[in-house]
Amino acid sequence: MKAPTRLALALLAIGAALGMTVYSFNMLRGQVLDSIGILLEDSFLAAVSVYLLFFLTLLIVRYAVLILYSFLEHMESMFKRHKPPTLAERDDVSLPMVTVVIPAYNEGPVIQAALRALLQLDYPNFEVLVVDDGSTDDTYAKASAIALESRHLSIRVIHKKNAGKAEALNEGMAQARGEFVLNMDGDTKLSRNTLRACVRHFDDPQVGAVAGNVKILNRENLLTRMQALEYVEGLALSRKAQSFMRVINIIPGPLGMFRKSVLQQVGGYPNDTFAEDCDMTLNVLVKGWHIIYEPTAIAWVETPSGLLDLLKQRYRWTRGILQTCCKHRVAAKAGAAKATPLIIWYMIFEGIIWPLSNVLASAFFIFIALKYGIAILLFYWWLQLTALDLVAAAYCVILEEEEPSLILYSFGFRLFYIPILDVAKVFASIDEWRVSPMNWGKLKREGKL
Amino acid sequence: MDLISLLSTVLLVTTIGTLVVAIAAHLAFRLRDKRRPDRTALPRQDGGSLEPIFLERYSPAAAAVATAPAGP
Repeated sequence: MKAPTRLALALLAIGAALGMTVYSFNMLRGQVLDSIGILLEDSFLAAVSVYLLFFLTLLIVRYAVLILYSFLEHMESMFKRHKPPTLAERDDVSLPMVTVVIPAYNEGPVIQAALRALLQLDYPNFEVLVVDDGSTDDTYAKASAIALESRHLSIRVIHKKNAGKAEALNEGMAQARGEFVLNMDGDTKLSRNTLRACVRHFDDPQVGAVAGNVKILNRENLLTRMQALEYVEGLALSRKAQSFMRVINIIPGPLGMFRKSVLQQVGGYPNDTFAEDCDMTLNVLVKGWHIIYEPTAIAWVETPSGLLDLLKQRYRWTRGILQTCCKHRVAAKAGAAKATPLIIWYMIFEGIIWPLSNVLASAFFIFIALKYGIAILLFYWWLQLTALDLVAAAYCVILEEEEPSLILYSFGFRLFYIPILDVAKVFASIDEWRVSPMNWGKLKREGKL
Repeated sequence: MDLISLLSTVLLVTTIGTLVVAIAAHLAFRLRDKRRPDRTALPRQDGGSLEPIFLERYSPAAAAVATAPAGP
């Protein structure tokens, strides 16, 4: 779809969101005020109402800040593109060597597609290193077959005893010959420009790592399309805004490029949390390095298409992020880097406070509706959140050049998708607090790359 | 019943339904996770036994001991 059409549709969505909100409030202003009056008669209900009002204000501020900062980042990157090309962009011979590391555990159905996409990369000086982490399927054989096929690109396949993703990435780092290391997942396809787009940021000596843009490839049902909206509106928007401050909180597993010296300086990937990418990112930030987001370097990934697999993935993410926050709170208190406490609080807000408040709000409004017969407050709560989502989705669709149809999914986003994930996150937080045992929870690949 | 009241009722029913589905789905995920096959029984390409990997949980005290400089 052409850019002007996309822009027109997005503006239409923003207008619809604002119009819907204003019209509804004008129609029922008196009725809402009466309902609020009933709530204020009970001190507990009044306390919850005040908290939810405060929470809603916080959300509006969050969206406003993210949109503003991401816009500033967008302007900055546009300005950079118009500057004369650096030496690295002009001369292919001077481009530094990059090692692409793929930790692979039972990636048989997808590994060949991932490697074939690497053969198409537009970069003259790179090698590929597949670290087979003791797979029980044919990952090693399939990766080796592509390595033998490849004539112009060096592909090495290493087999090691199964010891987890962090150890596999560290093995890749140790074996890497490049000055820069790009870590990706075995279920990922990189866009052709990835290496060139990422490498140019390292002209700035303060930049230690570059985070890529993760997008969903298998948009085949309602669940995967909702995830596509979440990746665009939630993850990409946050990363773009954080990039303006040079403090990205998670360099995504599917696409992150590092100076090899930075990986060595922080001692490689830690293996004492289930969010090794988030943990590593905080280690890089603590050392004072800047992290940049590169929206044009795209990693296409296969995402869970079933609800239980999605819950499994989010359960691990939530517990991993909480483990990481817990681990780094000591460093944050010690003032290791000015931005670290802010980032940790941001992750605690997104990981615990937001889901918990959403579940609390749903339970509260259901109670009010059933006891006092006031269902209208639930409607206004949903309307406010959906209006925020609509505006953010429309903005992201323009910026990310995404499908405008994703904007329509905003209507169901807060109604079906987010509540289900929030409940899973609350359970994961309780389990983490109780220190319940957990395993990695490897997702079965469907081979849709 | 006006449009907003009708929408409010639909939202109420949907929200209750979604929360029930969310809790049921989480319980189903936990149940399925408990019923996964024993990893030690799985065959390995290199012939060895496949030991399950457990998280070596971060502990500030242990980390402090590990990073403390050696004495004279």
